[in-house]
Amino acid sequence: MISLILAHQGDSADPEMLRWIKVQLDHIFGSGPWVVVAIMGFVILSMPLFIIVIYLMQTKRRAAVEPMNQKGQDQERVR
Amino acid sequence: MPTTEKTKRPIYYGWYVCAATLFIGFVAIGARNSFGVFVVPMSDEFGWNRFTISAAAALGVLINGLSQPFFGQIFDRTGGRKMILISIVVLGSATAMLALTFHILFLAFMFGIVVSMAQSGPAPSNTAALMARWFKRRRATAISINSSALSMGGMIMVPFSMFLLQATNWRVAWLALGIIVLSSLPMAYFFLRERPEDRGLYPDGDPAPLNDSTRTTRRGSVGPLEVDTWKQSFKTAPIWQMAGSYFVCGTTTFVMSVHFIPFAIEDRGVSGATAATIFGYMMFLNIFGALGAGILSDKLGGTKNLLAFAYAMRGIGYLVLLTVDSVLGLWIFASIAGFSWVATPVLTSSLTADVYGTKALGTISGITFMFHQFGGFGSVLLAGLLFDITGSYTLPFALVGALLLPAAISAFSIKERKYSSRYQSRVPTPAAGD
Repeated sequence: MISLILAHQGDSADPEMLRWIKVQLDHIFGSGPWVVVAIMGFVILSMPLFIIVIYLMQTKRRAAVEPMNQKGQDQERVR
Repeated sequence: MPTTEKTKRPIYYGWYVCAATLFIGFVAIGARNSFGVFVVPMSDEFGWNRFTISAAAALGVLINGLSQPFFGQIFDRTGGRKMILISIVVLGSATAMLALTFHILFLAFMFGIVVSMAQSGPAPSNTAALMARWFKRRRATAISINSSALSMGGMIMVPFSMFLLQATNWRVAWLALGIIVLSSLPMAYFFLRERPEDRGLYPDGDPAPLNDSTRTTRRGSVGPLEVDTWKQSFKTAPIWQMAGSYFVCGTTTFVMSVHFIPFAIEDRGVSGATAATIFGYMMFLNIFGALGAGILSDKLGGTKNLLAFAYAMRGIGYLVLLTVDSVLGLWIFASIAGFSWVATPVLTSSLTADVYGTKALGTISGITFMFHQFGGFGSVLLAGLLFDITGSYTLPFALVGALLLPAAISAFSIKERKYSSRYQSRVPTPAAGD
């Protein structure tokens, strides 16, 4: 019984399901594993890059607003 | 006349913090969930049996659950930023060092203790507490986005690990996973800030309040149960109501994570592929359930009602699973339970913050999460034991499913209008209750 419990690692990554996912992805991509690794690796690492790009694009807007926020806080402190 | 560019408000900085915690959670949880991928190749190379390698993983579950309250306390005392940064460094380095595994004790120490403890740093209970500081009006929405890392980690990182393993070997794959975890470090360093005040902002990006009376009209007003230490919270009813229902949450989700596929194959007679398809579909719905719960909670209020509804719906799902003796029952269960799977942590975290404030939220969330983990571990053991005795999953599923009724009642009976800071602004004096 304990081996049955532990065989599933206590997480949702069930070995049976992992095998099935791999078969499905093999079917979809049909190429060697490196192609999938490259695509998924790109997706994973592009997430922070995307966020950084958005942040940098907003620099001008932020610069225009943040002094106003600071001013509001200063007034608050004076009160 | 100001240009359109100048009049547009920038994206509130809290959303960058939210995006950073989402990515950190995504890689941290994904790396951990990928452990199952390594079981076969590592066992083959070292001649370990399944029990031996799985014991290391089980140790990790226990250590992770037990360490949550302690990391929560560090979070509350230090603000969280440094703790999360150090945790990422340790987590990434330890994951990469799994490539050096030469003995089962090394694996048990490195994965079962170091990785599992380090993962408690950027755990959802702490990052949800961070979101609670940055957001008040849109608190549940931010927590729901943050919590969707739970599903995304499994959906993207696990398949990635599988193909990486196929393309290389398990040592290179562990090393690559460690590097990916470490890649979240710049995000954490540049974007994680402990409070909006650190950047001269107010929660939700709201403008500075004009006077004290306007401050009380915001969700940020102090509730009657706001605490400075976690001990104070455990002298009040809502935390026990939430922890009790959270225990049932862990009970009813863990048991399905472990036993759903064997149940579908052995009790319902479907193929392994169909069982995995249904389970994958259920996990996919998690994201929509979490986001939907967060948005509804912020827009409509009544978080405890949504929480009770989520438990009740899951209970109906269990009822369908046990009474509809066909593959249709499995699909209906997956549809209903899938939406409620991650909705309950989102709503519980949000409600905890609304009732007890943010000063000790990391510790309080860590303790309630520990209840969740204990419920999960106990239910998995119970289901396995009863399956061995009865030869069927009917009895264990019926038992854990029946707990969802008191869980729904427990959540519904929380006096949210009386205790939640969210409602204090509308009724300045203590409300009449629910």
